[in-house]
Amino acid sequence: MNNAQQTARVGLFFLLGVALIWVTYETLSGGKLFRDQGYTLIAGFDDVKDLKKGDDVRMAGVKIGSIDLTRLDGRRAVAVLRVDSGVLIPRDATATIYMAGLLGSNYVGIGMGTAGVPPLSDGQEISTTVTPDFNTIMSELGNLGKKLDGALGSFSSAMNGDGKGNGGLIQNLDHLVTDNRDKIGATLSNLQSVSEKINNGEGTLGKLVNDPDLHDQLLAAINELKATATQANSFMANAQGIVDHVKSGQGSLGMLLYDPQSAENLRVAVQDFRDVSDKLAKGQGTLGKLISDDSLYLSAQSTMKKADRALDGMTDSGPITAVGIVANALF
Amino acid sequence: MRQIRSILEGVGSTVQLLLRALSYVATLPRQSSRFIEQCYLIGYTTLPIVGILSFFIGSVLALQAGYSMQNFGVMQFIGSLVGLSLARELGPVMVAILVTGRVGSAITAELASMKVYQEVDALITMNIPPERMLVLPRLAAVAVMMPVLTVIANIVGWFGGAMICKYTAFISLSPKAYFASMVQYTKFKDVFDGMVKAEVFGLVVVLVCCNIGLNTRGGPREIGASVTRAVVVSLILILVLDYFVTKILI
Amino acid sequence: MASPASQPNPLPAAESPAVGVSVEALSKSYGKLDVFKDVTFAVEPGEIFVLMGPSGSGKSVLLRQVAGLETPTSGRVMIDGHDAGSAETREHVRRALVFQAGALFNSLSVYDNLALYPREHQMGTEDQIREKVMRALEILSLGKTAETFPSQLSGGMKKRVAIARALVMEPQLLLYDEPTSELDPVMSATIDEIIGSLRKEYHVTSVVVSHDCDLALSIADRVGFLMDGRLVHVGKPADLREPADPRIAEFLNPKIDVGNPRFKKIHTET
Repeated sequence: MNNAQQTARVGLFFLLGVALIWVTYETLSGGKLFRDQGYTLIAGFDDVKDLKKGDDVRMAGVKIGSIDLTRLDGRRAVAVLRVDSGVLIPRDATATIYMAGLLGSNYVGIGMGTAGVPPLSDGQEISTTVTPDFNTIMSELGNLGKKLDGALGSFSSAMNGDGKGNGGLIQNLDHLVTDNRDKIGATLSNLQSVSEKINNGEGTLGKLVNDPDLHDQLLAAINELKATATQANSFMANAQGIVDHVKSGQGSLGMLLYDPQSAENLRVAVQDFRDVSDKLAKGQGTLGKLISDDSLYLSAQSTMKKADRALDGMTDSGPITAVGIVANALF
Repeated sequence: MRQIRSILEGVGSTVQLLLRALSYVATLPRQSSRFIEQCYLIGYTTLPIVGILSFFIGSVLALQAGYSMQNFGVMQFIGSLVGLSLARELGPVMVAILVTGRVGSAITAELASMKVYQEVDALITMNIPPERMLVLPRLAAVAVMMPVLTVIANIVGWFGGAMICKYTAFISLSPKAYFASMVQYTKFKDVFDGMVKAEVFGLVVVLVCCNIGLNTRGGPREIGASVTRAVVVSLILILVLDYFVTKILI
Repeated sequence: MASPASQPNPLPAAESPAVGVSVEALSKSYGKLDVFKDVTFAVEPGEIFVLMGPSGSGKSVLLRQVAGLETPTSGRVMIDGHDAGSAETREHVRRALVFQAGALFNSLSVYDNLALYPREHQMGTEDQIREKVMRALEILSLGKTAETFPSQLSGGMKKRVAIARALVMEPQLLLYDEPTSELDPVMSATIDEIIGSLRKEYHVTSVVVSHDCDLALSIADRVGFLMDGRLVHVGKPADLREPADPRIAEFLNPKIDVGNPRFKKIHTET
């Protein structure tokens, strides 16, 4: 091998390598070897959750920086955000910790704020808001079973009596029907409207459906869950149980019950109820039979209120909607 | 017990060799012709095999990734997967393994035969330290050539993956989408980390191969044994160091 | 082959003084195998000391101690007041060893083999080095081989190249390991003459390991005899004509007698 030729080849080879390193560098880093340092903002949270150094800072989904560090500052947690210079964040923008995925990392999302508001400068603090994280949602779902159980239990006892001589709803109603036909008509329409509310999904459900943020988040969470969250399986089985009851119980609240005994009770109660209605439909009994017995009326009224409250409690608890959505999304 | 001692001796003599070679660093300009010759052997002549192998590694990586990802419908991430795995891991390790096989074994064979045929003794009596004449130019050459080989391996592998993605029926991902996702998730730091790794591997391989070659004792039969030992030790060291260097760099 | 007598000496006047070697109670063993034990002798500056002995008596190993390639098990070798293996000796004493098999650099041409030392030690410009190398090659009748590689040379030629390489180093201390084995009589005479003229003109100290009796008798100032791991005799070459020790007499003048018990032994064994 000619010496000069060898030298030339090595030289050419080396230059080629340097050129390729440069091309790679230009392509991947946009020509900045050491990333533009940008400026820092401070965001205080009650809990920075799983946020750690290097996680993204995004604005409308676009990465604009990263987390420099997280530390405790007095009685709160503080995340220091390093934001690319050139990205201006209005003073009224808020920072929130979002979940990038069930198993994935978190990121800090920054709102757009209002146009025209002067931007934050280096070292200033950005205001923050809190969204429920996955754990909160899950623990609320966990509470749902108990709540539902409790609510339906009290509903059932209201219907059937507590076995201490106080007549349950049905016995009372029986008397009521025979004694106070007018008033029972009003009561029944009350009951009906309550059921309708549940069926139509009005109230809290409507609100929740109209809150796309929460809805989307849940949907995303569920999608992730579907693919990966085997750990959540046992819990979801519980939820599924509840949901099955909910689904099959469209016409009959009794079917919602966990406890087969209570369900049976309720079914019997409803059967009684239907008998009464049938009688009513057939025009059996007379107006004269409806004795205006105030005490009975009042007790019936308060029972109805209890039932109403129980139902309200169910709709208010929110997670029942969550379960519904979980159910729809999953099955 | 004896094994542990021989391992410690190996580590100690390798470190000594490194320090001695570094103490002659000032003589490097005078040895430029030897340096260039070694650059030629280590870099230029290793290039074809590095190119071929990295092309196929990139292709296979893309193919396997595509096959596994088709169940999830995340084909668009093949680019970033191939980009990152080649830049951070496969590029440097593969180049180091090829350098071991192609260059390291040759170094050991050459130095071992010089030792067995008393050429090394002749150098010592001539007051030409073997570390200066035999080890230093090789170390310098590998230090210069490893990043070059690695970046070429990366790029060839990336294009190999792009080609497979385009022409494989069940993937059919356009090179544009492939490279877009690669550029999105592969940073220059990943490539740079890879080059740091390659640098460490290259220096260690050359050092170990020189050391084992120079410590060969006995007759010509020992040359073969030394080469085998050098290659095995180098390969083990590459993979063990890979873990620790990666850990440090992450 | 051209006689070297008419050739100018390859070495320009060496300014450094000759060095003395003293071997003090030197022992060397490999594991349990004792190569030699308790060897003591001194080589005066400018002297030619020939170390003789049968094969396997440890002559070459002894020479490697003097060259600083191995450390002795006990005792020491001092060159010019410093240990043979020390950095001072390596730096300040130009010491050349002519290996028995030549130990030429196989990857370098004959010319580069010779030019390596002067180049590495910056002993002049490339032209000066070339002149010196070519002169050394001429003396050993190797002028035509300058561009060939060691693998293309015969054993005797390799040895001559090795000697030429030692000459180019302008050594103060020259160590030869069997310099005349594998050489034809004319070349052997040339080597003898080179060793002698180096001593005469430049006061180079030489230690020659050999079992070539003629060489010892013609050039040696003193002869040492190494047998069974012991230095059994040190004296003038003239002493060897009538050796006191029967073992030496037997070594120098072996009597070939088929009736000798030695031969009988071979016959009975086979």
